Amino acid sequence: MTLSSAGTPTQYAVELQGCTKQFSTPGGGTYFAVRDIDLKVEPGRFVSIVGPTGSGKSTILNMAAGLLKPSSGTASSFGAPVHGVNRRASYMFQQDALLPWKTVIENVSLGLTMAGVGKAEAHSEAQRWLEKVGLKNFADRYPHQLSGGMRKRTAVAQAWIVNPDILLMDEPFSALDVQTRQIMENELLALWQESGKAVVFITHDLDEAIALSDEVVILGAGPGSTVVGNYEITIPRPRDLLDIRDDPKFVELHREIWGRLKIEVSKTYEAARAEEGEVA
Amino acid sequence: MTVLNSRKALKPAPGEGTTAARARRRNGTSDGMMRVYQLVLAAVVLGAWELLGRAGIIDEFFFPLPSDILATVWSWISTGYVFPHLWITMQEALLAFAVGTAAGLFLGFLLARVRFLERLFDPFLQMFNALPRVVLAPIFLLWFGLGIWSKVAFGFTLVFFIVFFNTLEGVKNVDRVLVDNARMLGASEKQLLRHVFIPSALTWIFSSLHISVGFAITGAVVGEYLGASAGVGYAIAQAQGVFDTQGVFAGMFILMIVVLIIDLLVNRLERYLLRWRPVQSS
Repeated sequence: MTLSSAGTPTQYAVELQGCTKQFSTPGGGTYFAVRDIDLKVEPGRFVSIVGPTGSGKSTILNMAAGLLKPSSGTASSFGAPVHGVNRRASYMFQQDALLPWKTVIENVSLGLTMAGVGKAEAHSEAQRWLEKVGLKNFADRYPHQLSGGMRKRTAVAQAWIVNPDILLMDEPFSALDVQTRQIMENELLALWQESGKAVVFITHDLDEAIALSDEVVILGAGPGSTVVGNYEITIPRPRDLLDIRDDPKFVELHREIWGRLKIEVSKTYEAARAEEGEVA
Repeated sequence: MTVLNSRKALKPAPGEGTTAARARRRNGTSDGMMRVYQLVLAAVVLGAWELLGRAGIIDEFFFPLPSDILATVWSWISTGYVFPHLWITMQEALLAFAVGTAAGLFLGFLLARVRFLERLFDPFLQMFNALPRVVLAPIFLLWFGLGIWSKVAFGFTLVFFIVFFNTLEGVKNVDRVLVDNARMLGASEKQLLRHVFIPSALTWIFSSLHISVGFAITGAVVGEYLGASAGVGYAIAQAQGVFDTQGVFAGMFILMIVVLIIDLLVNRLERYLLRWRPVQSS
């Protein structure tokens, strides 16, 4: 296990310190979603969080986004504690989050228009982004008229147009078929490269995490999961995702990290079986 | 008291018109042919009514002949007798609709967004809603007199609750992810309302619009019927007072046509405002 040794930047793009999130259950008990999470993401780094089902991956992302307040611990961004939504971050959701009543171009320009940019200017900027993600001829469509992959491209443009310093991505491509997904991952890397943006990427797919990231964080089995592993991904960039799975370094890292993740996945599985047993 | 347009009372049926059209086509009968069948059915029923009436099998006094009803309708229209009454009724319905919808929307949005107020008002709103509204008509008559305002107040109590409950549900059922996404993109509370909550609640609001238009007219007519000096309800009550069943049926027929036309206009507006919605495919 290696930790980033650079150590110089004191201002992390995202920093969670001892963050715990608990919910009270209807039965009067407390349910710990995550416990004592420490996470540091330097500006410009691509960090993936991988964990078994129910390990609170989205909870961590929502705390970084400011959509959830940690029950204890602090969430900060660039040295300042996160109050309300994190204004320096964009969020890509797992589900479709485009407004169905707005056309593609209205959706993409939404962040700008809400920030007070004039409609003409916002639309020309949005048009530029649509060209970048290969949707320039679809500006006037409504989301339901697009394929799943096209909706994700729109969501990418919507998130990037506001030029955030941080991108929070919650399994953004999990709903796509494998081929489309690989293309989208490649395009994401191309956009991200040299952009200097920090990315926190949630996935349950270890292949995807290793292929994309500078660092992979492994979460333990839930509930009340915490960080159990932290791996530096040293595969050189730029990477070609279509061939990366044959790279010896990829194979080696995958074996090492899967060895750790496997334990947590089995725990989750055992717990689920035990629960089924109780019910039966 | 009947609800003029109660078949749309249920929750929003997405793409109702279009699905109906598709279902019809799927059954192998074209829209045009179905129109012909519908006309045939109407002709058969009315023809049978007419013939049975002329043959003396059904009592012409209680069920006046369709031809006589149409003649009365025509005379009401051609002499211009009905128009001042219709105008009064429409005024009352329009005012009740406008005020009731505005208040329903406002309070619906407010209570949906402020949890404290929703919990505070909930039992009182339930109580008022449980009250059969028609019992309010006499008291409104005392408070506001025989003129249009007693009918507007009555219609208001009918319209308000429909719009209010639908708006409340509509706003509360907004997809969480859409709200989070808009907030992450920097939406203020006002922008959330404009870009997310209002459009999202629109399907619910429209389903309430269909029924509240009917309710506004119901309110006006029932109010007039119970005490007024003008209006279609008053005209019907007058006809009934002199045992003129043809007049009663004529008034009913005219109201029916007017409500149908208004509903058609609401449908048009709905189709335009909800044009972003996917066409339901089966």
